Amino acid sequence: MAEQEWAGTTYGNAWMHKWLIRMLRHIDVRILYLFVAIFVIPVCLVLNPSRGIAYRYFRRRIGYGRLKSAWKTYVNHCLFGQVVVDKFAMYAGKKFDVEVVNYNEFLERASREEEGFVQLSAHVGNYEIAGYTLVCKDKRMNALVFAGEKASVMQNRSKMFADTNINMIAIQPDMSHLFEIDKALADGEIVSMPADRINGSQKCIEHDFLGAKAKFPLGPFSVATMRGLDVLAVNVMKDSLTSYKIYVTPLAYDKESSRQEQIRQLSSAYVAELEKRVRQYPTQWYNYFEFWQEG
Amino acid sequence: MEQLINDLKLQIKEALNLEELSLEEFDENAPLFGDEGIGLDSIDVLEIIVLLEKNYGIRLANPKDGRAIFQSVKTIAEYVQANRKK
Repeated sequence: MAEQEWAGTTYGNAWMHKWLIRMLRHIDVRILYLFVAIFVIPVCLVLNPSRGIAYRYFRRRIGYGRLKSAWKTYVNHCLFGQVVVDKFAMYAGKKFDVEVVNYNEFLERASREEEGFVQLSAHVGNYEIAGYTLVCKDKRMNALVFAGEKASVMQNRSKMFADTNINMIAIQPDMSHLFEIDKALADGEIVSMPADRINGSQKCIEHDFLGAKAKFPLGPFSVATMRGLDVLAVNVMKDSLTSYKIYVTPLAYDKESSRQEQIRQLSSAYVAELEKRVRQYPTQWYNYFEFWQEG
Repeated sequence: MEQLINDLKLQIKEALNLEELSLEEFDENAPLFGDEGIGLDSIDVLEIIVLLEKNYGIRLANPKDGRAIFQSVKTIAEYVQANRKK
């Protein structure tokens, strides 16, 4: 099996990011989508190993035929290009139509309680849009982010978050982020983190996912069950060229059982929800590494 | 202090399933993380955080102190002794 590897950073350098944001202040994102689809994606498909990974995902996991898998590989890369453009469009001040299912109800209830909760995301759709949309007035949201992300992206995120109740916790090699997460949860805040990529600790839990065995990181589930808090799966999917839909699903687990059992139940619930969303939006799966253990 | 160190060794051993590590081999001064010491990782840190809260009522007041406190069993014991609520 290939190692689970992913650089985890946004493509391009600071100058390119700045230029993109300036341009997006003046032009419609759809013009850039078209440019990316015609001139950028074909080149990426030739040069990048993500082509084979995406193709195998459509063939083996989604079950498409050869031609359809090849076409969907192109569509998947175009959509990935679009969500990157959308991210920079938001930095440039553009707004998207975002429909949120269930979340406000949950927030109203949660904000009345002393305890915080945990949100688990995945590298599908465009989670970054959720960060700017799902804001709780009474509880601070702590978003766990990859520390190796480009400085220009981090600066733009900081600017976006400046007037919100959102704090970024960067994953650090010295594990100091764990103490920050613990403090945030102890203080009744919200912690949001992805739960589909193995970063740092290699400890993982195996589940059947889309018909084959796949490894998921143990860390997010261990954090979520530390204090027996409520846990939500939040997946933000691109619904049309200019709109997103945020699916919020509470994940059930028996808080009275042993920690090992809690982790098993919670991770099973997370994987089931992720499979549901990936089957609903198969072209919005953006884990470009060998996710499944297959020969 | 010695009793507390032994209690912590036992609790950590049990919480992290370190069956192959005997209490005699479990050096209280050895680094808990990295190749030179016991070789624990970030998931193990979470388990120790839960353990300290459950058994001693301890919550880390300042996340920045975490790394120094979790250096070895001895540094954890010193922190527990100074801050325990149970």
